[in-house]
Amino acid sequence: MRYKSQIVAREYFLAALLLFFLQVVFGILSSVKYVWDTDPLLAILPFNVARAIHINLLVFWLLLALMGATYYMVAEEIETEIYSVKLARLQLGILLASGVAAIVGYLFQWSFGLPFLEQPTVIKLAIVVGVLVFLANVGLTMFTNHQTLTRTTATLLGGMVMLAVMFLFGIPFMSNLSTQYYFWWWVIHLWVEGAWELIAASLVGWALIKLTGVPRQRIEGWVFAEVCLVLLTGIIGTGHHYYWIGTPHYWLWWGAIFSAAEPIPIMMMLVDTVRHMLKARRLATVNTLGLAWLGASAFVHFMGAGVWGFGQTLPQINRWTHGTQITASHGHFAFWGAYGMLAIALMYIILPEIGGHPTEKGTKLGFASFVTLNFSMIFLVMSLLIAGIVQVYLQRIMGMDFLEVQNQLRLWFEVRLVSGCIFLIGTVLLLWDLFRLARTLPAGERAPEPQPETVPAA
Amino acid sequence: MPSTRTILWAATLLSALAFLGMTVDSLRKLGARTHEERLSAEVIEGKRLWQHYDCNDCHTILGIGGYYAPDVTKSYAIRGDAWLRQFLKEPAKMYPAGRQMPNFHLADEQVGSLVAYLEWVSEVDTNGWPPAPEGVARAESGGAKVFLAQHCNTCHSIQGSGGTLAPDLSHEGSRQTKEWILAQLNDPRSHKPDSIMPSFKQLPEAAKQELADYLAGLK
Ligand code: HEC
Ligand code: HEC
Ligand code: HEM
Ligand SMILES: [Fe+2]
Repeated sequence: MRYKSQIVAREYFLAALLLFFLQVVFGILSSVKYVWDTDPLLAILPFNVARAIHINLLVFWLLLALMGATYYMVAEEIETEIYSVKLARLQLGILLASGVAAIVGYLFQWSFGLPFLEQPTVIKLAIVVGVLVFLANVGLTMFTNHQTLTRTTATLLGGMVMLAVMFLFGIPFMSNLSTQYYFWWWVIHLWVEGAWELIAASLVGWALIKLTGVPRQRIEGWVFAEVCLVLLTGIIGTGHHYYWIGTPHYWLWWGAIFSAAEPIPIMMMLVDTVRHMLKARRLATVNTLGLAWLGASAFVHFMGAGVWGFGQTLPQINRWTHGTQITASHGHFAFWGAYGMLAIALMYIILPEIGGHPTEKGTKLGFASFVTLNFSMIFLVMSLLIAGIVQVYLQRIMGMDFLEVQNQLRLWFEVRLVSGCIFLIGTVLLLWDLFRLARTLPAGERAPEPQPETVPAA
Repeated sequence: MPSTRTILWAATLLSALAFLGMTVDSLRKLGARTHEERLSAEVIEGKRLWQHYDCNDCHTILGIGGYYAPDVTKSYAIRGDAWLRQFLKEPAKMYPAGRQMPNFHLADEQVGSLVAYLEWVSEVDTNGWPPAPEGVARAESGGAKVFLAQHCNTCHSIQGSGGTLAPDLSHEGSRQTKEWILAQLNDPRSHKPDSIMPSFKQLPEAAKQELADYLAGLK
């Protein structure tokens, strides 16, 4: 850690980790309801409330983690202290308070009632304020020093601005459900397949520059190309959600063609990350666990978003699979790989620097949680995929009644529940390891900061 | 010769503009495709209630939402007005076993708004989604299958499986004749003026015959 103010990243990470833990708990509560029909909690925590809390926590913890990493990265890139640590803490306070208020509200049936955007309007406005504080703080930090504004940092800011603008389309109530969903996707799709991809690409680029010693120009050139392709395919690619919601038929063409190309930039990110990571082997100090998370994230990002997404993006297939457990399988795989694993990778890269463990390579516990989390997630995603395929066959093709089909799927919902419980164990291990890393070591025990290395000429 | 960078930038910008153009066009066409003129105050109130109770995190609608409960896009077309009203008042009675929907203790006019909203949704032009199941022909043959396909079991039970809202039909054949049952199917109110059973007059004649034969045979 080169700048004192970078320490705020740690506060964001710790808050994010606690929310992550709660997200998993609420996920398990929701999946229990799929296995046992009679729901003893029907009156206090029905499925819709459990799910709303589960998916809100998901978005909250990812945003907090990415914002924390942004503060850390921007200071380092711009070579300056963060404009205001107080504002950064105020922002964290606003966002956490909004999140907690939203979640407690759901328990009392206080809801805007749109999936992911269940936050009542006043809370949405508070979130907007929090995000504006963030943008101002990051922007002011960046523009204190024009000379050092890098392309990676500019991309990151671009992604954050896009994220904030898109959120606005999720605020108004629209009387026409089709119009409402038209703009709902501007938040949901243009976030995960637009703004967040920009944020991810630039943070990955930064981490690679930092960890692998590959020259900046080369990595930044790639990041630029990836980001352009993400937007080029992803913006019109929103059309893969406009097949069946009342929107005109031409979206079946536009949505299919452009979204089918969305895996290309994701593939580039994977190739690029792996290629550069291999170079890191030549360095003296390697943060093995951090790099493992980073590389695995690129891979699962490609599988979950690229492959699983592509699998259902053509209208001929989506017509049958739309709104089934296949969608759920993809949602879990993609969010985990693209953003969950990336957030964890960034924590493994940044926390040791803050706490004074700069030569951290990863402990047994850390690797154990890496393996537990990823394997259980694969089982979870596979059980949902199988459930989804059976569901499509029995319900959509054979015409069996929805509830009857759900009965037939019980085995796969059981596998999902067990996977979720193992995932929870992995989460506890992860928190244990990361909280250890987050502790600031007493001055005497600190390892010296290593000098930045570059790859020795081959 | 512009650089690759410039070309990429320009293409991206162009795609964003094209997207905005298509958005304007789509919004213009949505009016007709969703019958916006039928968005009455009651329908809009129904949408508000739908959001207020966060129904969408259990149910999908237009295929979007929670995957825990049936998609309701076509519920109005499939279940009909009377069934929905009855169901929303007391969900547990229609499906006594299995996954439960909470009882929201809705007032009659709230139920009316929700049903109006579901009716409006069922008429949105969804480019043919959800597709008609290819295997449905199977369910159309044999009285027992018609019984299930028409969801008679949400109200009636036979041999212990089904709803409790209406009489058990396990021994219907020893109570009524086939002709009486046919009359009940065509017009439940001919037997009981305030009947809540929906009319099944619209079923194909063959299906009605099979259904009546089946029930009359349950002694
Ligand atoms: C906790 C989850 C949950 C919530 C919340 C919920 N439902 Fe349901 N709903 C179900 C389940 C499960 C069924 C399947 C029938 C049953 O078991 O009662 C169902 C069935 C239905 C059906 C019948 C669908 C069909 O075609 O068979 C309609 C209509 C419906 N719900 C409307 C609503 C409305 C309107 C709301 C909000 C006021 C709502 N639901 C809230 C779980 C839920
Ligand atoms: C919304 C609930 C509901 C549904 C759905 C329903 N019924 Fe009924 N049914 C009733 C009720 C209530 C009665 C009791 C008499 C009345 O109120 O009309 C009844 C009465 C009957 C009777 C006469 C029972 C007797 O001996 O008195 C028959 C036969 C019957 N229904 C058959 C069917 C069939 C076949 C279907 C499906 C095609 C069906 N019902 C669907 C509610 C329903
Ligand atoms: C990068 C990260 C991605 C994430 C986090 C993600 C996440 C999600 C989620 C959560 C949903 C469900 C939304 C809902 O209805 O509630 C969804 C739907 C969908 N996604 Fe993705 N996605 C990603 C990338 C992609 C890509 C690259 C493609 C296509 C190539 C794709 C194709 C789809 C399709 C077609 C649906 C609609 C499924 C349906 O019809 O039910 N996704 N995605
Ligand atoms: Fe999408």
